[in-house]
Amino acid sequence: MAVTTMKIALAGNPNVGKSTIFNALTGSKQHVGNWPGKTVEKKEGHLFIEGQEVIVVDLPGTYSLTAYSIEEVISRDFIVHERPGVVVAVVDAVNLERNLYLVTQLLELEVPVIIALNMSDIAQSRGLTIDTSILSAQLSGVPVIKTIGTSGVGVDALKSAIHQLASPAIKQPVSIDYDPELEREIQLLEVEVRAIPELADKYLPRWLAIKLLEADEDITERLSHYSELLAQAEQAAERIEATTGDDAETLITDGRYGFINTVVSQALYRPQVAIETTSDKLDRILTHKYYGMPIFLLMMWLVFQMTANVSAPLLDWVDGIISGPITHWVSSLLGLVGLQGSWIASLLLDGVIPGVGGVLVFVPVLTTLYLAIGALEDSGYMARAAFVMDRVMRAMGLHGKSFLPMLVGFGCTVPAVYATRTLENESDRKLTGFLLTFMSCGARLPVYLVIGAAFFGAQSGNLIFGLYILGIVIALLTGWGLKKTVYRNKPPQPFVMELPPYRAPRLRDVWRQTWERTSEFVRKAGTVILLSTMVIWLLMAIPVRGEGEFNNVAPENSVFGVVSDVIAPVFAPAGFGTWQASGSLITGFVAKEVIVGTLSQIYVGEAETADVGIEPVPTLAEDIAFVGTSFVDTSILTAQEIVNIVPRTLNLVPFIHIPEADFLGTAGESEDTTALETALTQAFTPLAAAAFSVFILLYTPCMAVVAAMRQEFGKQFVFYQIAYTFGVAWLMAVIVYQGGLLLGFGG
Amino acid sequence: MTLDQLQKGQPAKVLKITGKGAIRRRLMDMGLVRGVQVEMVKAAPMGDPVDYLVRGYHLSLRKSEAQMIEIDLC
Repeated sequence: MAVTTMKIALAGNPNVGKSTIFNALTGSKQHVGNWPGKTVEKKEGHLFIEGQEVIVVDLPGTYSLTAYSIEEVISRDFIVHERPGVVVAVVDAVNLERNLYLVTQLLELEVPVIIALNMSDIAQSRGLTIDTSILSAQLSGVPVIKTIGTSGVGVDALKSAIHQLASPAIKQPVSIDYDPELEREIQLLEVEVRAIPELADKYLPRWLAIKLLEADEDITERLSHYSELLAQAEQAAERIEATTGDDAETLITDGRYGFINTVVSQALYRPQVAIETTSDKLDRILTHKYYGMPIFLLMMWLVFQMTANVSAPLLDWVDGIISGPITHWVSSLLGLVGLQGSWIASLLLDGVIPGVGGVLVFVPVLTTLYLAIGALEDSGYMARAAFVMDRVMRAMGLHGKSFLPMLVGFGCTVPAVYATRTLENESDRKLTGFLLTFMSCGARLPVYLVIGAAFFGAQSGNLIFGLYILGIVIALLTGWGLKKTVYRNKPPQPFVMELPPYRAPRLRDVWRQTWERTSEFVRKAGTVILLSTMVIWLLMAIPVRGEGEFNNVAPENSVFGVVSDVIAPVFAPAGFGTWQASGSLITGFVAKEVIVGTLSQIYVGEAETADVGIEPVPTLAEDIAFVGTSFVDTSILTAQEIVNIVPRTLNLVPFIHIPEADFLGTAGESEDTTALETALTQAFTPLAAAAFSVFILLYTPCMAVVAAMRQEFGKQFVFYQIAYTFGVAWLMAVIVYQGGLLLGFGG
Repeated sequence: MTLDQLQKGQPAKVLKITGKGAIRRRLMDMGLVRGVQVEMVKAAPMGDPVDYLVRGYHLSLRKSEAQMIEIDLC
């Protein structure tokens, strides 16, 4: 029996609880991806209504269906070209007028529409009464279902409305009373559109006529070879302006909102005096002239603490299990089948497992980030953060919402790349993403610490502070430069942003989104990270100088060594043109913290000699015990990090010093790097070491970031980003070294 | 006068949106059309952007955007 599947779409303004309705409809049967060729998230889900399978497509949240943003174009294209059986318009009952604007546009597309009047409970608490039957009648019979997404009220009624409406497709022509002159021109143009069969097939003639009169950018571009039609539309628009004194765009919007005013005046009762809501009271504090900024900084600091410190013990735990028990087990298994010591074993132990580990270590940090961002967005605070910070960020050509990704970037650039999703506009998102890598990430710090300790002693702190500042300055200059060049001809991005009412974050939705986005990272970026690790392994395993054999070769005789040697002269003007330095920079592409490991492996040679074979291999029982006890430790340390947010925050205030909690007595333990420091002082001059640090600060981000950027911004972006960061890093390192020589710091 | 000059507590009505392109389109989409009431709620800590009450919801605009909106006190 062939059962037809039906496709329906979910449309609505941002912040109306659309995803709650989507989750309530589809349950766990969801698929998250991107819209083809776009960096906009696409969610799809399934449900069964009376035995019929229904695919629900969650359209991006938009206020309108003009060509204002990619989100709008995506939604519109989907409705125009895929003709979903039903469009469920999720409407915020508290904010009826503006929400109905999108509905009028949906109705103009002549798709069957159902209104899910969401958050009707909140509307009631504000004294707003909406008569759904009048609302429905005013909108020529569109079904209106009251829903409360959070408690699932109305979801069953919504399902049966979908079923009823979809069985025989009902058309609901809604007539908006446009200005008579405008109406006359719409009808004339409609006739012209009908005369072109391929257009009349593809688009609704009346809708297309309206879009042409609006001079909709996307439509005029797509219809560019119908020059006659475009010319007619232009003349019509001129006639309208001549007779009415208003442009067509204004008259059309006026017409829609005029229609809405009529509808609302009949269907909505609101109290004479608006009740001051809790949200308004909260806003008086949170965006206060004096407290607003400190509260904002405190919130951001908390997010930073969550991503940078609270997730750290969990990250170490994942790392410990992968490099410990899992490696032992795989190694033992390989021994059982007689492969120990073979290249396959090495590929698995040095290539695949660390690669998988390299992906998994990001899971705790991304989970915490998404939870924090989800809570900020869902509560409504994110919009206030942008409101408070916009003036400052605009100086850099950025948006108020760019602050958060930038801050997260000081912890780790990977979550920062994903944090750019809070920016609605694609060009804001890309510009922010481009500058992110100059915020010195946490993994670079160990490198600065070793170099600082080796060369600058007591001045080490100044070097590190200077590096962080330099990164910010380069980001500022780059942002300014891009504004003047690449973005010069682009119109300024409007800020125009709704400040939605505050509400308690819906934890279930936040958690679900966190889970989806994190697993998407593992699937998409994970593949790239895994492959890159294996490539590096291969480069280090292949001998080329006639010494050693496959998988048993000294670093300098491997492809890796030769490549390092070949590129070394490139760094000569910066003072560190040795294969050792360039080699460590290559491994820095795997992960920045690896640089220290590589340097000590090459210069000191102590690392990795005491490998699995010499150490007594733990028994299975010991390994399992390790997983268990280390998890207990991890939980304690996570708790400790959460507790420590308090002293760390208070310690920001001058003259206050509260010691941090140390539950396990392990704080202050650090790896011994004195041997490496001594070796480095022989290999680098202090000036070269400073130039080397500058290079590490600015150069190409690690592969995990590259993978994340590719996922979020596309291949071309990644190419420019890599080229630019490498170029700037080289230039700045050379300036530091040569400038230092000129000033006589050459010793 | 234009919207950026509106003081707190002064009720006003929109006369016209000047300018052109995406920003104008967006302002109109958000409900800022002729005749609609606007009220200034508060400015951000650094004076810009500004929070306005339109059609029962809060909309924040940069001053440069509010300048595109001609209003009449009422």
